[in-house]
Amino acid sequence: MPIITADNLVKEFRLPKRYGGPLGGLRTLFTPAYTVKRAVDGVSFTVDEGELVGYLGPNGAGKSTTIKMLTGILVPTSGMLEVAGLVPWERREENALRIGVVFGQRSQLWWDLPLIDSLRLVGKLYRVPAERYRRNLDRFTELLGLGAFLQTPVRQLSLGQRMRGDLAAAMLYEPPLLYLDEPTVGLDVLAKERMRSFIAEVNREHGTTIILTTHDLADVEKLCRRIIFIDQGKVLYDGPVQRLKEQFAPWRELVVQLVPDGGELPPDELFDLPGVEVARREGAKVWLRFDPKLIPAPRLIAQVTARCPVSDLAIVEPELAGVVRGIYAEREAALTP
Amino acid sequence: MATAGICWDLAKAALRAQMEYRANFLVGILAGVVWQVTGFFTIWVILSRFHSIGGWTLGEIAFLYGLRLTAHGLWVVPFARLIDMDYMVREGEFDRFLIRPLNPMLQIITSRLRIAALGDLVGGVVLLSAASAKAGVDWSPVALVYLILVLIGGALAEAALQIGCAALSFRFLDTGGLRFLIDDAFNKFGGYPLKIFSGGMQFFLTWIVPMAFVAYLPAAVLLGRTGELRVSPVVAYLAPLVGLIWFVAAWRIWSWQSRNYQSSGH
Repeated sequence: MPIITADNLVKEFRLPKRYGGPLGGLRTLFTPAYTVKRAVDGVSFTVDEGELVGYLGPNGAGKSTTIKMLTGILVPTSGMLEVAGLVPWERREENALRIGVVFGQRSQLWWDLPLIDSLRLVGKLYRVPAERYRRNLDRFTELLGLGAFLQTPVRQLSLGQRMRGDLAAAMLYEPPLLYLDEPTVGLDVLAKERMRSFIAEVNREHGTTIILTTHDLADVEKLCRRIIFIDQGKVLYDGPVQRLKEQFAPWRELVVQLVPDGGELPPDELFDLPGVEVARREGAKVWLRFDPKLIPAPRLIAQVTARCPVSDLAIVEPELAGVVRGIYAEREAALTP
Repeated sequence: MATAGICWDLAKAALRAQMEYRANFLVGILAGVVWQVTGFFTIWVILSRFHSIGGWTLGEIAFLYGLRLTAHGLWVVPFARLIDMDYMVREGEFDRFLIRPLNPMLQIITSRLRIAALGDLVGGVVLLSAASAKAGVDWSPVALVYLILVLIGGALAEAALQIGCAALSFRFLDTGGLRFLIDDAFNKFGGYPLKIFSGGMQFFLTWIVPMAFVAYLPAAVLLGRTGELRVSPVVAYLAPLVGLIWFVAAWRIWSWQSRNYQSSGH
């Protein structure tokens, strides 16, 4: 059963046309002309209950705009959207009761009050019964390690502490749906790890459906089974993480540690084989990018070891980050005239 | 009822948050009182020279002024946060009100109280009671009930204009100038008997902008001066209702316009 169904979602922003030159400001003020920016351009997808989906894309791809439509903040220009049987912006308050939202860039907590006050207010707003509030507060305090700063005003918390507070606030009423918009942005390695394990735990234990946008692909590789990749408002890819790699980076890499033969290192030409190219070279270390369909790994290894002495070998799968970098680069190239 | 409880909790939290900045809090209250006292002082100076304005004596003018000030205090204490409307819409702060299970306007109202405006309220009530003795208002129970309704209606009328104006923020992002203009107009004209203005101006301040319903018409009723009005006394009696109608309309417009909210960043 899909919990989210988005069908051909479009969101356009209208900006008054701007004029330069003398009196340009005045002309801008009275012009009826608009420039239209299509931030989301016909996005369709469904998300099943209990899924943990990574929603990816470069800056300005339309990720946040989609999230804002899902949460009911923005009204789409056209298209259909149903979240747990509701159209979010039409029945905003009902929808709000069922979703948790965390924006990495903006805290939802009460800035001047101790963290515990924010949590208490959230409990009231979402009508959490006293006993369940107590139980969840204890549980999340322990899971996220909030104990040390529950009494500290939010404005004095570090970014990592604040994000943990935001996560606790979003889960306190156990919503079936959780939207996380760049929840790990600006966090250090340890804090990121903590966020990730909490997100995974919530998804596993509560069956919470989670949509996660992020620029940190390690988040996605560790947490998500499925990726929706959008660019310029359109869905570029929707499917398992693994298949994204196969589709956009069908190669693998063989890392070869060469042994200098009588002080001489073999030249790159030595590896001139069909379906193989030298991706990188650092002295005696060579990265060979090969297409497993043209040349299976065992045959490549046999060929390489036959041609020169080798002290170490390793086969590396492309990292998601590398794959995505490749996609971005392709797009940049396509956009540059 | 659950909604009222939640609003109360939010308002208390807002008050606690403001107490974090104690000096600002106290200075704010003091400044509010001083500001309003100066406002009345101006009229008092005029009156001490001319003894009456449009046939209204010092006591009557003070009563009118007290009525306006109290109504003003009643709207401005809870609705002070509307001042930040442009900022909230432009910077995307408004997002947070849309993802919580409570009417966004109720959340805005309860996110900050303007305690300084309590000065208006206190000043207004003091002025009103002192002046009502001097102006010789006949306080029958009906008159008292009418007074209370009129104060609420006046607060609603002024709030309606500001809410309607705030609704424009969703489209135009910058409405500070207009809002200040409205506030200033109420401040400057609201404290005088409107009969001293030309007919066109009176019509404007009655039917286009409901300023007359805030203080002038109710004061005329309570002071037994309905004979001099350009409108039927019935209209003056119905002043509280007019405030309510304006308020409901403005609230609707605001909610409807909130669909145009564009947030910030994409």
